[in-house]
Amino acid sequence: MDNFIDRISISIQRGKIDANSPYPPDMKGEPGADELTREALQNGVAANDILTLAMIPAMGIVGELFKDKKLFVPQVLMSAKAMNSAMLHLKPYFTSGEIKQRGTFVIGTVSGDLHDIGKNLVSMMIEGSGWRVIDLGVDVKTERFIEAVQENPGCILGMSALLTTTMESMEKSVRQVRSNYPSQRILVGGAPLSKEFAFRIGADMYAPNPQVAVEYINSIA
Amino acid sequence: MSYTPRERVMAAMNLQKPDRVPLMCQFSIGSMMQQLKPSPAEFWYDGELFALGLVELCNRFDFDGILVSLHGHSPDWRDKVISFKELEEGRQELVFEDRQELHSWTDLPMVKYFDKAALKNIDDIDIDNDVPDVIDYIPVSQNLYFKIDKDHPFDIFVFLREMVGNTYSIHGEITSPFDYLLDLLGYEQGLISLIMNPEKCKQILQKFTDGITKLAVEMCKYDIDAIKISSPFAGMGFISPEHYQEFVLPYESQFIKKVREAGKHVYIHTCGHIDDRLELMQLSGASGLECLDPEPVGNVDLKDAFNRIGDKMFIKGNIDSVNSLLYASNEKAEEDVLKIIETGKSGKGFILSTACSIAPMVTEERLHILSKLAESAGKYS
Repeated sequence: MDNFIDRISISIQRGKIDANSPYPPDMKGEPGADELTREALQNGVAANDILTLAMIPAMGIVGELFKDKKLFVPQVLMSAKAMNSAMLHLKPYFTSGEIKQRGTFVIGTVSGDLHDIGKNLVSMMIEGSGWRVIDLGVDVKTERFIEAVQENPGCILGMSALLTTTMESMEKSVRQVRSNYPSQRILVGGAPLSKEFAFRIGADMYAPNPQVAVEYINSIA
Repeated sequence: MSYTPRERVMAAMNLQKPDRVPLMCQFSIGSMMQQLKPSPAEFWYDGELFALGLVELCNRFDFDGILVSLHGHSPDWRDKVISFKELEEGRQELVFEDRQELHSWTDLPMVKYFDKAALKNIDDIDIDNDVPDVIDYIPVSQNLYFKIDKDHPFDIFVFLREMVGNTYSIHGEITSPFDYLLDLLGYEQGLISLIMNPEKCKQILQKFTDGITKLAVEMCKYDIDAIKISSPFAGMGFISPEHYQEFVLPYESQFIKKVREAGKHVYIHTCGHIDDRLELMQLSGASGLECLDPEPVGNVDLKDAFNRIGDKMFIKGNIDSVNSLLYASNEKAEEDVLKIIETGKSGKGFILSTACSIAPMVTEERLHILSKLAESAGKYS
């Protein structure tokens, strides 16, 4: 089992999707996260072990390296793709209830803002740490955030903004959600934000990078 | 000796010290809207109105130069408008054949395309047909483009010189080939393609570079002093130094060389964290660097940057528009700006500026502090 766990983990860390993928060059022709996960399941490795011992720790390592600027967005995207290829094999186990996600994370870019790079990276990393992610997209109105919270009791809500102008939309959305759901956990992020701003508008946490978001939501799950 | 604003900026770009630190910030579109409260759609599309606004703001805040962030305004832009609706004060909706645009005093226009084609897979990109020979658009922001009228690509520089004479330094702006690549492919596919299909990326980059070089060389024929290269995705927040060397530097260097041969200055604007690549940016041959965002938006220490590249490049920066100008108290804002002026003065070529563009909601009063401090604390003795 350890052999599969290690190899799946390395495939995800290195962004090796499948045998056909030419990346990374030194793993050309080798099986990737896709084949290894399928084989692991066929060989009796428990789906939960693949998730908790290989996939989640691998994405955690990727997140740490990204935070420390030792990995960059292209490599992180490749790791996320490798993880998704492994995750497809685990879907039936989620459906059957044999393995469970840690919780639900709802995320969107706030009203008036069409930028999605940061939001997508956070979504990928959080999904990779074992959460169900509901991505509301970009230009999300306050009402939609509120509906999503209502539809997903117990979820954690994330909001992203890249523009200083849309920080105002974020403030409005955070205050309105907080007003309707006082105990709702809200995480915010985006290039122009700061911890001070996040706390001033009533958010629970400011994530300057995806890994901080992952650590925060895992700490309260 | 007293300098004109233009001379002051030129001296700094030539790595000399004028009478005082020159001041020249770039306005975001939202900031211009907030300060001028124009008819937002007309301000966006009408080159003469845009030029008037730039001059008004430069005069109002005692800046030494004007950055022209949009060029190529079409005098016939109204011909393509199907409907123009005033929604409320400072908010207008325009409908064109292919899109709906919402213009407001808040920020950039929001655009919805009625039937936008999906992004092509990089393998399906036909470089001859899908990458233009002539650059006729500016990728302003996600899903927002400014069309360059091929018959009037640089009229705005003529309007501006007619209005300001020789007084102010005027700078044009060109977008980096790397930005055009990411726009063509979409950010995710674009960034992944750097490692999955690097050779095709390089072919696309070269075609864009050829077009951008032609555009930049033509721009240099006008009475401008410098061209700013907008290269927001070339920092540590996105790509490694190795990718910078492979996919950004060789292409930006090509048209930087041509601009320098045309006798104009050229400086690179890359947002966020760039501390690990200052020396690489210097290798481009550019005359200066803009932005150099400090913590928390970036990671550049201005003094360290001067020590590392200041002998060969001028620096234009690095006031944090959000944390120092938008949200700080007056005392903190002044303290931050004074510190930057003091550090900047110790370097060879320095222009006081916001790192990134002025955030839209920065107040008029706060902007006046900049010229007051440049005047009181920025004199070279």
